[in-house]
Amino acid sequence: MIRTIIFSTLLVLGSSIIQSTWLGAIAVFGVIPDISLVVLVWVSYKNGLVEGPITGFVSGFLEDCLSASPLGFHAFIKTFVAAISGLLHGSFFIDRIFLPFAMGAVGTILKALAAALLSLLFGAKIQTYDFLDRVLWIEAAYNGLIAPFLFLFLGALKKLLVTESKRE
Amino acid sequence: MSETPAIRKIDRRRKAVPVVLLAASLLTLTISTRSLEGLPKRVGVSVFGFFQKGFSAIGDFVSNTTSSIAELKRLRKDYDELLLKMESYSNLERGYAEIRQENERLKEQLGYTSNLQYERIPARVIAKDPENVYATIVINKGIEAGIRKNMPVIAFQDGIEGLVGRVVEVGQGSSIVIPLYDTSSYIAARLATSRYEGLVTGHGSSDKPLVMKFVKKRAKDEIQFGDLVVTSGYESLYPPEISIARVSKVRALDYQTSIEVDLEPVLDFSRMEYVFVIKPEATADTGMTDAAAPAAPQDTGK
Repeated sequence: MIRTIIFSTLLVLGSSIIQSTWLGAIAVFGVIPDISLVVLVWVSYKNGLVEGPITGFVSGFLEDCLSASPLGFHAFIKTFVAAISGLLHGSFFIDRIFLPFAMGAVGTILKALAAALLSLLFGAKIQTYDFLDRVLWIEAAYNGLIAPFLFLFLGALKKLLVTESKRE
Repeated sequence: MSETPAIRKIDRRRKAVPVVLLAASLLTLTISTRSLEGLPKRVGVSVFGFFQKGFSAIGDFVSNTTSSIAELKRLRKDYDELLLKMESYSNLERGYAEIRQENERLKEQLGYTSNLQYERIPARVIAKDPENVYATIVINKGIEAGIRKNMPVIAFQDGIEGLVGRVVEVGQGSSIVIPLYDTSSYIAARLATSRYEGLVTGHGSSDKPLVMKFVKKRAKDEIQFGDLVVTSGYESLYPPEISIARVSKVRALDYQTSIEVDLEPVLDFSRMEYVFVIKPEATADTGMTDAAAPAAPQDTGK
Protein backbone atom coordinates (compact mmCIF):
# COMPACT_ATOMS: atom_id res chain seq x y z
CA MET A 1 0.00 0.00 0.00
CA ILE A 2 2.77 2.43 0.92
CA ARG A 3 4.55 1.67 -2.35
CA THR A 4 1.34 2.42 -4.26
CA ILE A 5 0.90 5.73 -2.44
CA ILE A 6 4.51 6.78 -3.06
CA PHE A 7 4.43 5.97 -6.79
CA SER A 8 0.98 7.49 -7.27
CA THR A 9 1.97 10.68 -5.45
CA LEU A 10 5.12 11.01 -7.53
CA LEU A 11 3.14 10.50 -10.73
CA VAL A 12 0.45 13.03 -9.77
CA LEU A 13 3.11 15.54 -8.74
CA GLY A 14 5.14 14.98 -11.91
CA SER A 15 1.96 15.57 -13.90
CA SER A 16 1.42 18.88 -12.09
CA ILE A 17 4.95 20.01 -12.95
CA ILE A 18 4.41 19.03 -16.59
CA GLN A 19 1.15 21.00 -16.55
CA SER A 20 2.91 24.09 -15.27
CA THR A 21 5.77 23.93 -17.77
CA TRP A 22 4.94 22.12 -21.02
CA LEU A 23 1.19 21.97 -21.39
CA GLY A 24 0.87 25.69 -22.09
CA ALA A 25 1.83 24.73 -25.65
CA ILE A 26 -1.38 22.72 -26.10
CA ALA A 27 -3.71 25.10 -24.28
CA VAL A 28 -7.14 25.58 -25.85
CA PHE A 29 -8.38 29.16 -25.38
CA GLY A 30 -5.74 29.46 -22.66
CA VAL A 31 -7.04 26.38 -20.82
CA ILE A 32 -4.67 23.51 -20.07
CA PRO A 33 -5.77 19.94 -19.27
CA ASP A 34 -5.46 18.74 -15.69
CA ILE A 35 -3.62 15.46 -16.21
CA SER A 36 -2.76 15.19 -12.52
CA LEU A 37 -6.49 15.10 -11.73
CA VAL A 38 -7.16 12.38 -14.30
CA VAL A 39 -4.29 10.31 -12.90
CA LEU A 40 -5.66 10.76 -9.39
CA VAL A 41 -9.17 9.74 -10.44
CA TRP A 42 -7.81 6.52 -11.97
CA VAL A 43 -5.59 5.71 -8.97
CA SER A 44 -8.45 6.35 -6.52
CA TYR A 45 -10.98 4.33 -8.51
CA LYS A 46 -8.59 1.38 -8.71
CA ASN A 47 -7.43 1.48 -5.07
CA GLY A 48 -10.43 2.65 -3.07
CA LEU A 49 -10.87 4.87 -0.05
CA VAL A 50 -7.43 4.75 1.55
CA GLU A 51 -4.68 4.95 -1.08
CA GLY A 52 -6.54 7.44 -3.33
CA PRO A 53 -7.36 10.10 -0.71
CA ILE A 54 -3.88 9.83 0.86
CA THR A 55 -2.32 10.29 -2.59
CA GLY A 56 -4.67 13.23 -3.23
CA PHE A 57 -3.90 14.84 0.11
CA VAL A 58 -0.09 14.55 -0.15
CA SER A 59 0.14 15.52 -3.83
CA GLY A 60 -2.37 18.35 -3.35
CA PHE A 61 -0.43 19.66 -0.39
CA LEU A 62 2.77 19.68 -2.45
CA GLU A 63 0.96 21.21 -5.43
CA ASP A 64 -0.02 24.14 -3.24
CA CYS A 65 3.67 25.00 -3.26
CA LEU A 66 3.60 25.32 -7.06
CA SER A 67 0.67 27.66 -7.03
CA ALA A 68 -0.44 30.96 -5.53
CA SER A 69 -3.27 29.14 -3.81
CA PRO A 70 -3.34 29.09 -0.01
CA LEU A 71 -1.80 26.01 1.59
CA GLY A 72 -4.48 23.34 1.86
CA PHE A 73 -6.50 24.40 -1.19
CA HIS A 74 -5.33 21.70 -3.59
CA ALA A 75 -4.98 19.24 -0.69
CA PHE A 76 -8.70 19.57 0.04
CA ILE A 77 -9.79 19.49 -3.60
CA LYS A 78 -7.68 16.48 -4.49
CA THR A 79 -8.69 14.57 -1.34
CA PHE A 80 -12.33 15.33 -2.11
CA VAL A 81 -12.13 14.14 -5.73
CA ALA A 82 -10.10 11.08 -4.70
CA ALA A 83 -12.60 10.20 -1.95
CA ILE A 84 -15.55 10.33 -4.37
CA SER A 85 -13.61 8.27 -6.95
CA GLY A 86 -12.56 5.84 -4.20
CA LEU A 87 -16.18 5.40 -3.11
CA LEU A 88 -16.96 4.09 -6.59
CA HIS A 89 -14.09 1.58 -6.39
CA GLY A 90 -14.97 -1.50 -8.43
CA SER A 91 -18.56 -0.39 -9.05
CA PHE A 92 -18.36 -0.71 -12.80
CA PHE A 93 -16.18 -1.98 -15.58
CA ILE A 94 -14.11 0.73 -17.27
CA ASP A 95 -14.33 0.51 -21.06
CA ARG A 96 -11.85 2.08 -23.45
CA ILE A 97 -13.55 5.37 -24.28
CA PHE A 98 -16.89 6.32 -22.73
CA LEU A 99 -16.23 5.80 -19.01
CA PRO A 100 -12.73 7.29 -19.05
CA PHE A 101 -14.21 10.36 -20.78
CA ALA A 102 -17.00 10.57 -18.19
CA MET A 103 -14.59 10.12 -15.27
CA GLY A 104 -12.24 12.84 -16.57
CA ALA A 105 -15.08 15.30 -17.16
CA VAL A 106 -16.99 14.55 -13.94
CA GLY A 107 -13.75 14.68 -11.94
CA THR A 108 -13.20 18.22 -13.23
CA ILE A 109 -16.72 19.26 -12.23
CA LEU A 110 -16.19 17.72 -8.77
CA LYS A 111 -12.99 19.73 -8.49
CA ALA A 112 -14.91 22.92 -9.32
CA LEU A 113 -17.60 22.03 -6.76
CA ALA A 114 -14.97 21.48 -4.08
CA ALA A 115 -13.38 24.85 -4.91
CA ALA A 116 -16.80 26.50 -4.74
CA LEU A 117 -17.38 24.93 -1.33
CA LEU A 118 -14.04 26.29 -0.08
CA SER A 119 -14.89 29.69 -1.51
CA LEU A 120 -18.09 29.66 0.52
CA LEU A 121 -16.18 28.79 3.68
CA PHE A 122 -13.14 31.03 3.24
CA GLY A 123 -14.50 33.87 1.08
CA ALA A 124 -12.37 36.01 -1.17
CA LYS A 125 -9.10 34.32 -0.22
CA ILE A 126 -10.11 31.35 -2.34
CA GLN A 127 -10.46 31.63 -6.08
CA THR A 128 -12.94 29.40 -7.78
CA TYR A 129 -14.31 28.46 -11.17
CA ASP A 130 -17.15 30.47 -12.63
CA PHE A 131 -19.73 27.86 -13.61
CA LEU A 132 -21.03 30.14 -16.36
CA ASP A 133 -17.58 30.71 -17.83
CA ARG A 134 -16.11 28.65 -20.65
CA VAL A 135 -12.90 27.80 -18.71
CA LEU A 136 -14.49 25.09 -16.57
CA TRP A 137 -16.34 23.45 -19.45
CA ILE A 138 -13.36 23.52 -21.78
CA GLU A 139 -11.23 21.96 -19.06
CA ALA A 140 -13.87 19.30 -18.35
CA ALA A 141 -14.07 18.39 -22.03
CA TYR A 142 -10.29 18.48 -22.40
CA ASN A 143 -9.77 16.23 -19.37
CA GLY A 144 -12.44 13.90 -20.69
CA LEU A 145 -10.73 13.70 -24.07
CA ILE A 146 -7.28 12.92 -22.69
CA ALA A 147 -8.59 10.47 -20.07
CA PRO A 148 -8.91 7.42 -22.43
CA PHE A 149 -5.25 7.81 -23.48
CA LEU A 150 -4.05 8.38 -19.93
CA PHE A 151 -6.04 5.43 -18.60
CA LEU A 152 -4.46 3.25 -21.27
CA PHE A 153 -1.01 4.41 -20.17
CA LEU A 154 -1.82 4.01 -16.47
CA GLY A 155 -3.11 0.50 -17.09
CA ALA A 156 0.40 -0.44 -18.15
CA LEU A 157 1.72 0.82 -14.81
CA LYS A 158 -0.83 -1.14 -12.77
CA LYS A 159 1.86 -3.02 -10.85
CA LEU A 160 3.21 0.24 -9.47
CA LEU A 161 -0.03 2.14 -9.00
CA VAL A 162 -2.51 -0.45 -7.71
CA THR A 163 -2.18 -2.35 -4.44
CA GLU A 164 -1.63 -6.05 -5.10
CA SER A 165 -4.86 -7.23 -3.41
CA LYS A 166 -6.93 -4.91 -5.62
CA ARG A 167 -5.49 -5.84 -9.01
CA GLU A 168 -7.98 -7.60 -11.29
CA MET B 1 -22.45 -14.09 4.62
CA SER B 2 -22.46 -11.75 7.66
CA GLU B 3 -19.45 -9.54 8.44
CA THR B 4 -17.53 -10.11 11.64
CA PRO B 5 -17.10 -7.17 14.08
CA ALA B 6 -13.36 -7.07 13.23
CA ILE B 7 -14.05 -6.62 9.50
CA ARG B 8 -16.64 -3.94 10.23
CA LYS B 9 -14.10 -2.13 12.39
CA ILE B 10 -11.47 -2.18 9.63
CA ASP B 11 -14.05 -1.01 7.12
CA ARG B 12 -15.04 1.89 9.38
CA ARG B 13 -11.38 2.86 9.77
CA ARG B 14 -10.88 2.82 5.99
CA LYS B 15 -13.90 5.05 5.53
CA ALA B 16 -12.57 7.45 8.15
CA VAL B 17 -9.33 8.07 6.21
CA PRO B 18 -10.74 10.57 3.65
CA VAL B 19 -12.72 12.35 6.38
CA VAL B 20 -9.58 12.82 8.48
CA LEU B 21 -7.63 14.03 5.45
CA LEU B 22 -10.34 16.49 4.41
CA ALA B 23 -10.38 17.84 7.97
CA ALA B 24 -6.58 18.19 7.88
CA SER B 25 -6.84 20.11 4.58
CA LEU B 26 -9.41 22.46 6.03
CA LEU B 27 -7.28 23.01 9.12
CA THR B 28 -4.29 23.83 6.94
CA LEU B 29 -6.40 26.24 4.88
CA THR B 30 -7.65 27.92 8.02
CA ILE B 31 -4.10 28.50 9.17
CA SER B 32 -2.69 29.44 5.77
CA THR B 33 -5.39 31.95 4.88
CA ARG B 34 -4.33 33.81 7.99
CA SER B 35 -0.85 33.98 6.49
CA LEU B 36 0.95 31.62 8.86
CA GLU B 37 2.11 29.58 5.91
CA GLY B 38 5.41 31.39 5.19
CA LEU B 39 8.01 28.74 5.80
CA PRO B 40 6.53 25.56 4.26
CA LYS B 41 5.43 27.53 1.21
CA ARG B 42 8.89 29.04 0.73
CA VAL B 43 10.52 25.64 1.03
CA GLY B 44 8.02 24.23 -1.45
CA VAL B 45 8.61 27.04 -3.94
CA SER B 46 12.36 26.41 -3.70
CA VAL B 47 12.13 22.65 -4.17
CA PHE B 48 9.58 22.67 -6.96
CA GLY B 49 11.21 25.64 -8.63
CA PHE B 50 14.22 23.38 -9.09
CA PHE B 51 12.12 20.74 -10.87
CA GLN B 52 10.22 23.31 -12.89
CA LYS B 53 13.52 24.76 -14.05
CA GLY B 54 14.61 21.30 -15.18
CA PHE B 55 11.38 20.56 -17.02
CA SER B 56 11.36 24.00 -18.56
CA ALA B 57 14.96 23.57 -19.74
CA ILE B 58 14.15 20.21 -21.37
CA GLY B 59 11.08 21.68 -23.04
CA ASP B 60 13.07 24.65 -24.30
CA PHE B 61 15.80 22.39 -25.64
CA VAL B 62 13.35 20.31 -27.64
CA SER B 63 11.38 23.25 -29.01
CA ASN B 64 14.53 25.26 -29.78
CA THR B 65 16.10 22.35 -31.65
CA THR B 66 13.04 21.67 -33.75
CA SER B 67 12.44 25.30 -34.61
CA SER B 68 16.04 26.23 -35.35
CA ILE B 69 15.73 25.89 -39.13
CA ALA B 70 12.68 28.12 -39.32
CA GLU B 71 14.44 30.48 -36.95
CA LEU B 72 17.47 30.75 -39.26
CA LYS B 73 15.27 31.64 -42.23
CA ARG B 74 13.47 34.23 -40.19
CA LEU B 75 16.75 35.63 -38.91
CA ARG B 76 17.99 36.04 -42.45
CA LYS B 77 14.85 37.96 -43.37
CA ASP B 78 15.06 40.01 -40.18
CA TYR B 79 18.70 40.78 -40.88
CA ASP B 80 17.88 42.22 -44.29
CA GLU B 81 15.05 44.27 -42.83
CA LEU B 82 17.23 45.49 -39.99
CA LEU B 83 19.89 46.70 -42.38
CA LEU B 84 17.29 48.90 -44.01
CA LYS B 85 15.96 50.05 -40.67
CA MET B 86 19.41 50.84 -39.35
CA GLU B 87 19.96 53.20 -42.22
CA SER B 88 16.83 55.14 -41.36
CA TYR B 89 17.60 55.05 -37.63
CA SER B 90 21.01 56.55 -38.11
CA ASN B 91 19.23 59.51 -39.68
CA LEU B 92 16.76 59.66 -36.83
CA GLU B 93 19.50 59.51 -34.20
CA ARG B 94 20.84 62.87 -35.21
CA GLY B 95 17.45 64.42 -34.66
CA TYR B 96 17.00 62.53 -31.37
CA ALA B 97 20.17 63.98 -29.85
CA GLU B 98 18.88 67.46 -30.47
CA ILE B 99 15.44 66.68 -29.05
CA ARG B 100 16.99 65.09 -25.96
CA GLN B 101 19.06 68.18 -25.25
CA GLU B 102 15.97 70.32 -25.64
CA ASN B 103 14.01 67.95 -23.34
CA GLU B 104 16.68 68.20 -20.64
CA ARG B 105 16.56 71.97 -20.80
CA LEU B 106 12.76 72.01 -20.52
CA LYS B 107 12.80 69.54 -17.63
CA GLU B 108 15.27 71.71 -15.79
CA GLN B 109 12.94 74.66 -16.19
CA LEU B 110 9.99 72.60 -14.86
CA GLY B 111 11.88 71.47 -11.76
CA TYR B 112 12.71 67.88 -12.65
CA THR B 113 16.17 66.69 -11.63
CA SER B 114 16.60 63.35 -13.31
CA ASN B 115 14.75 60.45 -14.88
CA LEU B 116 13.39 57.58 -12.87
CA GLN B 117 15.97 54.89 -12.33
CA TYR B 118 15.23 51.47 -10.93
CA GLU B 119 17.48 48.55 -10.39
CA ARG B 120 16.03 45.72 -12.45
CA ILE B 121 16.63 42.02 -12.00
CA PRO B 122 16.14 40.19 -15.30
CA ALA B 123 14.37 36.83 -15.07
CA ARG B 124 12.90 34.23 -17.38
CA VAL B 125 9.38 32.82 -17.19
CA ILE B 126 9.81 29.08 -16.57
CA ALA B 127 6.31 27.93 -15.66
CA LYS B 128 2.73 28.91 -15.07
CA ASP B 129 0.20 27.81 -12.51
CA PRO B 130 -0.63 24.11 -12.91
CA GLU B 131 -4.33 24.86 -12.51
CA ASN B 132 -6.63 27.03 -14.61
CA VAL B 133 -8.27 28.60 -11.58
CA TYR B 134 -5.17 30.49 -10.44
CA ALA B 135 -3.13 32.60 -12.84
CA THR B 136 0.44 32.80 -11.64
CA ILE B 137 3.79 32.93 -13.38
CA VAL B 138 6.99 31.27 -12.09
CA ILE B 139 10.29 33.01 -12.81
CA ASN B 140 13.79 31.58 -12.53
CA LYS B 141 15.17 34.03 -9.94
CA GLY B 142 14.60 34.07 -6.20
CA ILE B 143 16.17 35.07 -2.90
CA GLU B 144 19.66 34.42 -4.30
CA ALA B 145 19.14 37.17 -6.89
CA GLY B 146 17.82 39.61 -4.29
CA ILE B 147 14.13 39.18 -5.04
CA ARG B 148 11.73 39.75 -2.17
CA LYS B 149 8.00 39.42 -1.68
CA ASN B 150 5.82 42.17 -3.19
CA MET B 151 8.46 43.50 -5.58
CA PRO B 152 6.87 44.81 -8.78
CA VAL B 153 7.53 43.00 -12.05
CA ILE B 154 7.64 44.63 -15.48
CA ALA B 155 8.38 43.48 -19.02
CA PHE B 156 9.23 44.99 -22.38
CA GLN B 157 7.31 44.14 -25.51
CA ASP B 158 7.57 45.91 -28.85
CA GLY B 159 9.51 48.69 -27.16
CA ILE B 160 6.85 49.29 -24.51
CA GLU B 161 7.54 48.95 -20.80
CA GLY B 162 4.50 47.44 -19.13
CA LEU B 163 3.50 46.20 -15.70
CA VAL B 164 3.32 42.41 -15.28
CA GLY B 165 2.36 42.15 -11.61
CA ARG B 166 4.10 41.54 -8.30
CA VAL B 167 6.04 38.80 -6.55
CA VAL B 168 3.90 36.84 -4.08
CA GLU B 169 6.19 33.96 -3.09
CA VAL B 170 9.97 33.73 -3.16
CA GLY B 171 12.03 30.56 -3.18
CA GLN B 172 15.78 30.14 -3.22
CA GLY B 173 16.08 30.10 -7.01
CA SER B 174 12.58 30.83 -8.22
CA SER B 175 9.63 33.08 -7.44
CA ILE B 176 5.91 33.14 -8.04
CA VAL B 177 4.49 36.27 -9.65
CA ILE B 178 0.84 37.20 -9.56
CA PRO B 179 -0.12 38.93 -12.82
CA LEU B 180 -2.11 42.15 -12.90
CA TYR B 181 -5.13 40.36 -14.40
CA ASP B 182 -5.51 38.16 -11.32
CA THR B 183 -8.67 38.83 -9.33
CA SER B 184 -6.66 39.42 -6.16
CA SER B 185 -4.46 42.07 -7.77
CA TYR B 186 -5.35 45.73 -7.16
CA ILE B 187 -3.22 48.50 -8.61
CA ALA B 188 -3.54 52.21 -7.93
CA ALA B 189 -3.57 53.76 -11.39
CA ARG B 190 -4.31 56.92 -13.30
CA LEU B 191 -5.13 57.90 -16.86
CA ALA B 192 -1.95 59.21 -18.43
CA THR B 193 -3.60 62.12 -20.24
CA SER B 194 -6.52 63.28 -18.08
CA ARG B 195 -4.78 62.19 -14.81
CA TYR B 196 -7.97 60.79 -13.26
CA GLU B 197 -7.26 58.06 -10.73
CA GLY B 198 -8.78 54.63 -10.17
CA LEU B 199 -8.09 51.08 -9.07
CA VAL B 200 -7.18 48.47 -11.69
CA THR B 201 -8.10 44.83 -11.19
CA GLY B 202 -8.57 41.79 -13.41
CA HIS B 203 -10.96 38.94 -14.07
CA GLY B 204 -8.43 36.14 -13.60
CA SER B 205 -7.67 35.57 -17.28
CA SER B 206 -5.38 37.36 -19.70
CA ASP B 207 -8.10 37.01 -22.37
CA LYS B 208 -10.55 39.15 -20.44
CA PRO B 209 -10.20 42.94 -20.11
CA LEU B 210 -8.91 44.60 -16.97
CA VAL B 211 -11.24 46.95 -15.14
CA MET B 212 -10.42 50.36 -13.75
CA LYS B 213 -12.83 51.07 -10.93
CA PHE B 214 -13.72 54.14 -8.85
CA VAL B 215 -12.95 56.63 -11.61
CA LYS B 216 -14.73 59.93 -11.03
CA LYS B 217 -17.89 60.33 -13.09
CA ARG B 218 -16.82 63.66 -14.53
CA ALA B 219 -13.91 61.90 -16.24
CA LYS B 220 -16.35 60.25 -18.64
CA ASP B 221 -16.20 63.00 -21.26
CA GLU B 222 -12.43 63.25 -21.12
CA ILE B 223 -11.61 59.57 -21.55
CA GLN B 224 -10.83 58.51 -25.09
CA PHE B 225 -10.58 55.05 -26.61
CA GLY B 226 -6.90 54.01 -26.52
CA ASP B 227 -5.92 56.33 -23.64
CA LEU B 228 -3.00 54.95 -21.68
CA VAL B 229 -3.40 53.96 -18.01
CA VAL B 230 -0.29 54.07 -15.82
CA THR B 231 0.56 53.30 -12.20
CA SER B 232 -0.04 56.25 -9.89
CA GLY B 233 2.62 55.20 -7.37
CA TYR B 234 0.35 56.01 -4.43
CA GLU B 235 0.11 52.55 -2.94
CA SER B 236 3.91 52.26 -2.53
CA LEU B 237 4.21 48.82 -4.14
CA TYR B 238 4.44 49.97 -7.74
CA PRO B 239 6.61 52.85 -8.91
CA PRO B 240 4.71 55.62 -10.71
CA GLU B 241 4.24 56.00 -14.48
CA ILE B 242 4.57 52.36 -15.51
CA SER B 243 2.21 51.55 -18.38
CA ILE B 244 -0.59 49.14 -17.49
CA ALA B 245 -3.19 49.13 -20.24
CA ARG B 246 -5.19 51.12 -22.78
CA VAL B 247 -8.83 52.12 -22.57
CA SER B 248 -11.17 49.88 -24.57
CA LYS B 249 -14.58 50.77 -23.17
CA VAL B 250 -16.19 53.16 -20.69
CA ARG B 251 -19.15 51.99 -18.63
CA ALA B 252 -21.23 54.56 -16.79
CA LEU B 253 -24.43 53.79 -14.96
CA ASP B 254 -26.74 56.51 -13.68
CA TYR B 255 -27.09 55.05 -10.20
CA GLN B 256 -23.34 54.75 -9.64
CA THR B 257 -21.18 57.54 -8.30
CA SER B 258 -18.15 56.45 -10.31
CA ILE B 259 -17.52 54.90 -13.71
CA GLU B 260 -15.78 51.68 -14.71
CA VAL B 261 -13.33 51.59 -17.57
CA ASP B 262 -12.46 48.39 -19.44
CA LEU B 263 -8.79 48.13 -20.35
CA GLU B 264 -6.63 46.07 -22.68
CA PRO B 265 -3.19 45.33 -21.14
CA VAL B 266 -0.24 46.81 -23.03
CA LEU B 267 1.55 43.48 -22.69
CA ASP B 268 0.60 40.24 -24.38
CA PHE B 269 0.92 37.73 -21.54
CA SER B 270 0.70 34.71 -23.81
CA ARG B 271 4.06 35.48 -25.41
CA MET B 272 5.91 36.71 -22.36
CA GLU B 273 9.32 35.09 -21.93
CA TYR B 274 11.44 37.54 -19.99
CA VAL B 275 10.54 39.94 -17.20
CA PHE B 276 12.31 42.40 -14.91
CA VAL B 277 11.81 42.51 -11.17
CA ILE B 278 12.14 46.04 -9.83
CA LYS B 279 14.04 46.64 -6.62
CA PRO B 280 12.08 49.44 -4.94
CA GLU B 281 14.89 50.40 -2.58
CA ALA B 282 16.78 51.70 -5.59
CA THR B 283 14.06 54.25 -6.29
CA ALA B 284 15.34 56.86 -3.90
CA ASP B 285 15.17 59.56 -6.56
CA THR B 286 11.61 59.88 -7.81
CA GLY B 287 12.63 62.47 -10.29
CA MET B 288 10.74 65.40 -8.85
CA THR B 289 11.92 68.12 -6.61
CA ASP B 290 8.78 70.07 -5.89
CA ALA B 291 6.44 69.38 -3.01
CA ALA B 292 3.62 68.33 -5.31
CA ALA B 293 5.53 65.33 -6.58
CA PRO B 294 3.94 61.93 -6.00
CA ALA B 295 5.27 59.88 -3.12
CA ALA B 296 8.15 57.58 -3.91
CA PRO B 297 7.79 53.89 -3.30
CA GLN B 298 9.24 53.21 0.11
CA ASP B 299 8.35 49.82 1.46
CA THR B 300 9.36 46.59 -0.12
CA GLY B 301 6.40 44.64 0.95
CA LYS B 302 4.18 43.79 3.80
